[in-house]
Formats: sequence, C-alpha cells, structure tokens
Amino acid sequence: MFKLPKEVVDLINDPESIKIVATADEKGNPHCAVKDFFTLLEDGNLAFAEEFEGSQTNVNLVRAIWFAKNVELTVRGKDGTTYQIKGKPYKYFYTGPLFEKFYLAAREKWGPDSELAGVWVITPEEVKNETYEVRKKEEDKKHPFFRHLDRSSVRRTKIQNSKSEISN
Amino acid sequence: MNEVIHELSFEEVAKKYPDFPRTVIRKIDTSLRGVILTEKALEGAKEEGAFYDVSHDLGRETHKPVLGEVFFRDGTYLLGLNCEESRLKGKPYFLDLIDGKLWLLDGENLLEEVYFAPVPAFFRKKTSRGTPMIKVISSKVPNRISINIFTYCQFFREKLPCKYCSYMANGSFSRRKDEIHTPESLEDIYETVNEILEEEGKWTNINLISGSDPRGMHQSGAYRGNSPYENEVNEYIKVLKTLQRCFATQRIPAVNRNGSPSHQTVQGSLPVNAIASAFPREQQLRLKEAGLAVYISNIEVWDKKLFEWICPGKAKYFGRQYWIDSILSAVEIFGRGNVSTQLVAGAELAEPYGFKEMDEALASNLEGVEFFARNGVYTTFCILWVDRGSVFYREKQKLPPLEYYVKLAQGINKIRKKYNLNASYSGYRGDGFHLDMDLARLAP
Ligand code: SF4
Repeated sequence: MFKLPKEVVDLINDPESIKIVATADEKGNPHCAVKDFFTLLEDGNLAFAEEFEGSQTNVNLVRAIWFAKNVELTVRGKDGTTYQIKGKPYKYFYTGPLFEKFYLAAREKWGPDSELAGVWVITPEEVKNETYEVRKKEEDKKHPFFRHLDRSSVRRTKIQNSKSEISN
Repeated sequence: MNEVIHELSFEEVAKKYPDFPRTVIRKIDTSLRGVILTEKALEGAKEEGAFYDVSHDLGRETHKPVLGEVFFRDGTYLLGLNCEESRLKGKPYFLDLIDGKLWLLDGENLLEEVYFAPVPAFFRKKTSRGTPMIKVISSKVPNRISINIFTYCQFFREKLPCKYCSYMANGSFSRRKDEIHTPESLEDIYETVNEILEEEGKWTNINLISGSDPRGMHQSGAYRGNSPYENEVNEYIKVLKTLQRCFATQRIPAVNRNGSPSHQTVQGSLPVNAIASAFPREQQLRLKEAGLAVYISNIEVWDKKLFEWICPGKAKYFGRQYWIDSILSAVEIFGRGNVSTQLVAGAELAEPYGFKEMDEALASNLEGVEFFARNGVYTTFCILWVDRGSVFYREKQKLPPLEYYVKLAQGINKIRKKYNLNASYSGYRGDGFHLDMDLARLAP
C-alpha cells in the first residue's frame, strides 16, 4: 500500500491543522467540507468522522465507494505547510470499535447532544505537497515563462522612482 | 416462477445495469444463494466479539450461535447468513478468513472483503428479574431495537398465515410464557431499554413488531366488532407507555377528534415505529396519542387476487380494501412520510397462481407503489425468503431471478424520487432488508 511520508502523518495527527475533504456529486460538481476528526490507522489508511448521514459529503462518498471514484483530502498546518492526498473510500463504519472511538471523541468535543453518522476509511493513493513555497519552486521550473518579470527572483534591481513617475 | 428462462448470473446482471451498485447486487445474490461460514471465519467472529452462543438463555442443550452481522465495505448488510432452514438458489457463498481479513467467496474466488460487527454488550446481561435481555429485545442488528409486542399471530392459529411467513416457527428468542405483556414483562422492557441505551452510539430507532390479532377487546368471538384489532393495539399502547419513561420527549397539546384544540396534552412523538396490522382510525389515534411516530402496515402483495391467495388471514380480516384504507387513513394521523407499507417481492411469482412473466409482476408491484406514493405512503420491499415453517417452504416454491430485484429496486427508487418520499426509519442501517433504502443513500 502507498505509504504517507512522516511529515504528512504528523500534520494529520496535529489537532490544530485544518483538514478538508473534497468530493464530487454525480454531475461532477465539487463539494468541500472541513473535518475535525481525522486519524491515520495502523494499516496506513486514513479515517475521518462524518457527522451527518444526509450530508453532501456522505452521499458523494457512498457514490465514490460504489463506483470507484476518487476523493481528495487537504491538510494544512499552522505554518502553511499543505498536503493534498488523493485516495479511494475503502470502508464505512457505523458500528464497531473504530466508530465508537470517534463517537466518544465527538461527544467529548461537542457535548452529549452531538451526532455522528459514521467513520470513513480512505486508502491514500497519491500525495502532493501543496505548500506555497514548494509549489512556487516547482512551477518556476516547469513554467518559467508564466512568472511575472517583476518578481525579485527575476529582476536584478528595482527602479526606485517608478511610482512617482506614474503619479506625475 | 412458472416460465423457463435463462436467469442472468451476477456478472451478467452487473454488466447489464452498470449504474446499479455492484455491492447491492451482490447483497441480493447473498440473500438468494445463502452464505456459509467456514470454521476459520467462525473463529474470527469469536475473536472480534461478533459471536454469542444463546443456547443457555433459551434453555437449549445444543449450541445456538448468534452472529453480530456482517457488512460489505460500504456498510451494506450481507444477507443470507443462517440459511440452513431456507430454500435457496444455486450454490451458497462462503465467508472465510484469509490473511487476517474476512472475505466473501464464490467457490475458490475471493469476491469482496467484508467485516463483522460485534454483538452488543446487552446480549450478556439479565434484568433484575433474571430475564436474559436478549429475550426482551428481539433485534440482533446494530442500530435497531426491536421489541415483540406479542409472540403469536392469530392468522397462524386459524390456519390462515401469509404463505411465505414462518413467524410462528421461528422467533424463539422472544417467546414468552405469557403471550401478552404483564407488568413484569413491561418492567423487563423498561430495564433493558435503559440498560442498552448506556451503550453509546449504538441505537437509532425502535421497532415494535408482532403478529396479527384481529380480535376486538369487547367483541370476543365476533371479530368485526366496533373496533377490530383492538387487542393488538392495547399491547402496543402498554409498550409505548413503558417507553415514555425512557425518553425525554415532551407532552404536547392534544387536538380533539374534530380537529379543534383540547385542554388536554398527549405524549409527543417517541423514536418508535410500529410494524402493525391494519388498524381502524380510532385505534391509530390512540397510538398517536401514546407517542407512536411511524406507522408501518404491510400490504405484502399488491395484486388483488394474489393478495387473497397469499395472505388469506389479511383477506379475511378484513380484506385488501380495508388494509389499503387503513394505511391511507394513517397518513392523516401520522403525517406524510411517517407511514409506509411493504411488499414481499417475489411472492407474487409463486406457483400456480402467480404472475407468469417478470414484467407483469413488476408492473403490478410498481402500480401499487405509485398508488401509495401518490397518497403520501412509502412502499419498501423485502426479498422473498422461503423458510422452514412457511406454506411456501412446504410447497417448494422457488426464488425469483436476481435481475427481478434489481429492476424492482430501480423502479421503486424512481417513484421515491418523483414523490420526494423517504423512509429513513426503515433505512439501510436498520436491518438491510430493504434494497430501495440502499439506493436512497444517494439522496442528500
Ligand atoms: S406476515 Fe402474515 S402470517 Fe406472518 S405474522 Fe404477519 S400477519 Fe401473521
């Protein structure tokens, strides 16, 4: 199975990082939802809690597991480090030990009237570093002629009085 | 089925209906062909806490294992377990443990990874009167608490059971000494429900189930009294009143029978469904006042002649039109979306009087589904089982082709969307018997 790098695993396990699940409906319309409970399982799969059975994310995930479609998870740390993980839904639990673990965590966080529909397990297939600095380097290399020429890494010096000339 | 036709295999059906989820097709096939556990799979069930031997609770000498259900990866129920006493189609599937994972196999072929759900903790508990809780709550599945209202069906006693039904032959879990509830058995229900609600995150609905009893309380011997089925309703009310003590629902202002406001209050809706007979309006009102939220009364077979042949008890007490009128009257009382009915799909193909052609049978079923939908009633269907103890078993009736159920589920799903109806109380998590509810998972 595809193994997530340690830096990604740490980011997933950091409760302060932001996690977003992106799915698509039957017409291909995208849908993104922020998720609170995310964890990496021992077998290398990712698990996250889905609060509502009738949510668009849940419906899209059911379609994805039935018809072998991909979903995408984005994780962004406090320092802006961002990863995108592409994968396929592998299992859905609404009973059993994994579900209970998430259910109790939700109770702890949201109180005794909280709801949790189930836990989705996703098998990661691909991971991409989407951190701004990393992506910038990649793009500069790949598409040097898409860069703006006034960027400091492109121009040797900067004209000091250009602004005043325009305003005159 | 009467006609000799080439029945499509699983792969042929899956290829012909690419928009129908393969998992749900497989589930239908497991119901039709049955599933047998290997010794290794049984050991796996024990290790995962998904196995319980109920023989001691039932006072039996031989082992009586209960499994905590098996699911496909997407949470769809696998059907066809415990198939030893059923008439099946073709060769059964197997469940085996391979490299630590549970698999569904067709012969040597690994088909699908599946998983066990552990049995709930209440299986091992007793009430303060010493009654095993597993005898109080008859459901063995996650999410659903099923309570038997009484443990007989009067139609069986009159030798008029629905022909596919084995209710009186099975159901030994919940057989009680007293057929109707006593203060002690109600206290058992109260204790058990309270105890199992301690298991957090396990339950989402309560089903009250029973056989039929058309007798009216004050009309002994003369069933068509002023209020038939009153005996049955009285038992439901006893249990609803017991459940009122378990839930935090408020009492709400009552409405007089003519619709004007009353000074009294009634119980607000409890999270409870009743799978009941066809009750007259005044009895439905009593149930509503006792807090019942959802009323399910099963027509079973839509075609008029076949209804009379397959459900002779229902036909006698008091005929198809009476059952239909009762279901429609319930919509006024419980509200659109809170009333449903069910077809036992496949019974209408039984020999010798059943439909000869699949398409004829489908058209009849969908006509019934559309009629009810127009009137605010959702129709679910279950797959026919030909179990020991039923008339159909003795008659060696055959099961319909796999494709028949795919077509029916598609047809019902289309009607469900057209009328914007749902029956989440009979949803895919509750027991897995309703294929149309599997498809409803794609409705946000
Ligand atoms: S299906 Fe028919 S025979 Fe069976 S319990 Fe219900 S009413 Fe009685």
